[in-house]
Amino acid sequence: MTDATDADPPAPTDHIRPEPAPRTDLATAAVILAFALTVLRMAIAMPTFTDRGGDPFTAPGIVPGFYGIVLAILGIALAARSIARGALRPGGGYVASTSGFTHSSIGRLATAVAICLVFSLGLIGRMPFWLAVAVFVTSFVLLFEWQDEPTPRRIRRIATATALGVATGIAVTLVFAKLFLVRLP
Amino acid sequence: MLENLAMLGQAFAGFANGATLFNVFWATLLGIIVGALPGLTATMGVALMTTLTYTMAPSSAILILICVYVGAIYGGSRSAILLNIPGTPASACSTLDGFPLARQGQAGRAMGISTAGSWLGTLFGTMCVAVFTPTLGELSLSFGSYEFFWVAVFGIVIAGSLSGGDALKGYIAGFFGLFVATIGQETVHAYPRFAFGTVDLAGGIGLLPALVGAFGVAEVLHVMSGPAFKAVANKIDSVIPRVGDVLKYWRTILRSGGIGTFIGVLPGLGEDTAAWTSYAAARRASKEKAKYGKGSVEGLMAAETGESACVPGAIIPVLTLAVPGSAPAAVLLAAMLIHNVNPGPMLMVTTPEFVYQIVAMLVLADMMKLFFGLTLVRPLLWILLVPRERLMPIVFVLCTVGAFAITSRVFDIYVMLAFGMIGFGMRLLNFPMAPLILGLVLGDLLDKNLLRGLSLTGGDPTPFFTRPISAGLALLTLAAILWSIPGMQRRIVGLFRRGRPVAGAG
Repeated sequence: MTDATDADPPAPTDHIRPEPAPRTDLATAAVILAFALTVLRMAIAMPTFTDRGGDPFTAPGIVPGFYGIVLAILGIALAARSIARGALRPGGGYVASTSGFTHSSIGRLATAVAICLVFSLGLIGRMPFWLAVAVFVTSFVLLFEWQDEPTPRRIRRIATATALGVATGIAVTLVFAKLFLVRLP
Repeated sequence: MLENLAMLGQAFAGFANGATLFNVFWATLLGIIVGALPGLTATMGVALMTTLTYTMAPSSAILILICVYVGAIYGGSRSAILLNIPGTPASACSTLDGFPLARQGQAGRAMGISTAGSWLGTLFGTMCVAVFTPTLGELSLSFGSYEFFWVAVFGIVIAGSLSGGDALKGYIAGFFGLFVATIGQETVHAYPRFAFGTVDLAGGIGLLPALVGAFGVAEVLHVMSGPAFKAVANKIDSVIPRVGDVLKYWRTILRSGGIGTFIGVLPGLGEDTAAWTSYAAARRASKEKAKYGKGSVEGLMAAETGESACVPGAIIPVLTLAVPGSAPAAVLLAAMLIHNVNPGPMLMVTTPEFVYQIVAMLVLADMMKLFFGLTLVRPLLWILLVPRERLMPIVFVLCTVGAFAITSRVFDIYVMLAFGMIGFGMRLLNFPMAPLILGLVLGDLLDKNLLRGLSLTGGDPTPFFTRPISAGLALLTLAAILWSIPGMQRRIVGLFRRGRPVAGAG
């Protein structure tokens, strides 16, 4: 991972993940630029309240307009840098690879996003909170741990997941509603 | 001086009761667990606990948050040593020498070094809080709108430049955070900016739901989409720190404590930068350079002392300027504001005893951390072995409860989800997260002071550049920007070398 030379140690993020390809950065820069220009346009369109005797330097659009301009400049800088690094060359410039974002992890990500959305947008508010939590935790564990195995082990897995779900539901409800006096969704 | 010592004594006396010690006990333990578990960061722990302790008395809630913060930064080194995975980004540096030590069968010794270094680091930083906060508080009284504008901009820029990784993307993240803070009604005309006619957006984006999303939900998605980690459940030797290890490297401990605290004081630079900088400085000064990266006791000591000294350091600007020194300190600042404790220049005038209460809280948390560091070895190893498939749904449930807790708005759960997705996407594209938080927290300060400054001068921006402190901060900001441009670093260093010798900044 590292060698003990006199060079400075790697920066924190180098240790964790590689840089995206320049072409990805170019696309990101385009999104940032579009976003910044939208912010700027909306900031300009905001009322200044000078007709009501307001100080022109307290106009609501000044600060977001300033951020819009800065973001636009930064977006252009990112685009220029990605082009200099070869974003427009065939292949999109160098790719630091080893991103580890494989086919299976996209599947796992999609599953995680889907089940979290179902819990927060679908289950909460439609049933008692402890039950929503129990259903969510049980299904989450089962979805990610499900595998080909004999029926008795499968039954044990379902039982463990259900127990964990119900225990979490009851514990979260009791601890936060009774002990911390927090209102639950 | 005597008056200050009396206030410190009163603060300790005020906390000498069973209920407080019980809170210190569980909150520090929770912090260590949150820190040790890869995927749960100190920022997330503090953000989540801010929402969940919302109904408690301010002093109890802030005590709990400080314990979680101190515990989490220390806990991260456990997984760094045992799994080669930093439990929090701050512990990334500890993997370099901690894991090789564990592989050589000295996991216990490595944990002992980490405990001793971390304990001494926090103690050193806490002493600096007690000594320097009153003086810095007085200095901050001379800050006006112009200075506060630059403090906010400097914080964003330096967090972008130096928090590791891509500076340009750091600036973008910071300014995006600032933009998000403008959503909702502004203070002068109550005009709802970027609300699109909805009442919920006109109320603004809640800081804590956004943070819980950007850290909690994004982490859940990140952990679930990544490869599973494997624990090295090896034999563990004694975790009692060896006196020899501490005495031999006392210079490294003092140097790392100083560097860590200083980096903590700089707005926006957090524990990870503190650890890497202390590590690099220790290696440069070391007689045993060749051991670094292969299990150097000195290297691990430097990293651990640096990151833990940064925690109290990061609280100093929170108390004196209401500007956070690190990402978890940003959440701590938000928590203080929610509890109507108003940190900033007036704090030393209105409630000076609060500073000493914070010192007492830090000492209590540090002592409890030492206790758990020496006793909690096996249980922490078991916790590290909990499969992520079982842990992450529980974390997500806590995030949802936390996002909803403060204002009881379902809209806040949507904010949390949206920021979870944004945070995950940003992480994937290598955007650092610390500037984003800083932007969210400093948005209000920058907004108010830019407009106030412009109004005072009738639109003339010159005082932003001509007042002495403003000019100094503006120059520092410019230097931080230039520093981050490739090729400029060498030119700036060359410029100073040719001229008179000047101590390097940051």
